[in-house]
Amino acid sequence: MTSRGTPSRFLQSVLQNGVGRYVCQLKRISLIFSKKAQSSLGVREYIEEGVVDFAKKNPGTVVYVSPQSCRIPKIVAEYLNGNVREEIVTAKPSREVAALVQKLSEQSGLDIIRIRKPFHTSSPSVQGQWHPFTNRPPSIGPIKPQDSQAQ
Amino acid sequence: MAVTLRNALREALQCGWRFRGNKFPSPLQAHTGFLLPAVAGQSSQSITNLPSRVPETSLSRPPWPELPIIDHLEEAKRHQAVVQKVSNILASRDYGRLFAVVHFASRQWKVTNEDLIIIENHIDVECGERIRLEKVLLVGGEEFTLIGRPLLSRDLVRVEATVIEKTESWPRVHLRFLRRHRYQRKRIIIQPQTVLRINTVEIAPNLS
Repeated sequence: MTSRGTPSRFLQSVLQNGVGRYVCQLKRISLIFSKKAQSSLGVREYIEEGVVDFAKKNPGTVVYVSPQSCRIPKIVAEYLNGNVREEIVTAKPSREVAALVQKLSEQSGLDIIRIRKPFHTSSPSVQGQWHPFTNRPPSIGPIKPQDSQAQ
Repeated sequence: MAVTLRNALREALQCGWRFRGNKFPSPLQAHTGFLLPAVAGQSSQSITNLPSRVPETSLSRPPWPELPIIDHLEEAKRHQAVVQKVSNILASRDYGRLFAVVHFASRQWKVTNEDLIIIENHIDVECGERIRLEKVLLVGGEEFTLIGRPLLSRDLVRVEATVIEKTESWPRVHLRFLRRHRYQRKRIIIQPQTVLRINTVEIAPNLS
């Protein structure tokens, strides 16, 4: 019912990506399709229209186009952190395939699971953690034990 | 304990007398807005001499101690000293790591350099591009804090971020079910998300 039992992680990035320059995390993408099957029609259209543009636009990514005799066309994406994602594109039109390829290239390859907090910081406090005596005006005087205050 | 109570009562009574003295402002006081010390002494004396008709109870005066009247000249002097100190810090660039509170994606984020934040939607920027977060509400260093009313000016603070990932949330299952009514609706919600890396939190060397 609740989401507490689901696997989770904290927000992170691969090897401090974006601190210096940004590196596209998609290493290799292979389009596996059939030359004849009806279910690969959209993938074949995408290969005719869009795959060359995608490869030119992303020089850091290797694009493989492998025709095989298969009923289920797939897109296999490999990331720099070693993760492999396999997406099935049976009977999808070419624009959906293009959107999927674009989405895979923009992801970082980390697991898509529940993220516990929407932020991550390695320096949680610059001015020091708050405690009840921060910003206490010195005019009040030092804190004494209860007995000495009573007299 | 009894000693404490008695002491507190005596102090409170004295405070109460003084408070009642200042309760009815003289026309001069209302006109100038702040009390000159000499005038204050005179007016309070003339009014405290009147006999009080309210007996001294726990309700005849407010429970908090009397606060000193704000001296605006003194306040201005202190303000000037604080501003001077902060400007010196800014001019010598002697602050350590800076942090800022920015308003972005209808949330307020406390960010510093090399932070990651995730936003529950896509923004119209390619991966790897830099954006500037312009709604800065607060900037602080180790020794000082600048608070905007409500925003700090764009010339003063510069917070930049890089889009490093445009991804999707994990699939959340939204299930509506009514028992004994043969009613069940299941919806799987996947929200687009954007991960930002904060690159710089910079501040101009002079307070304008």
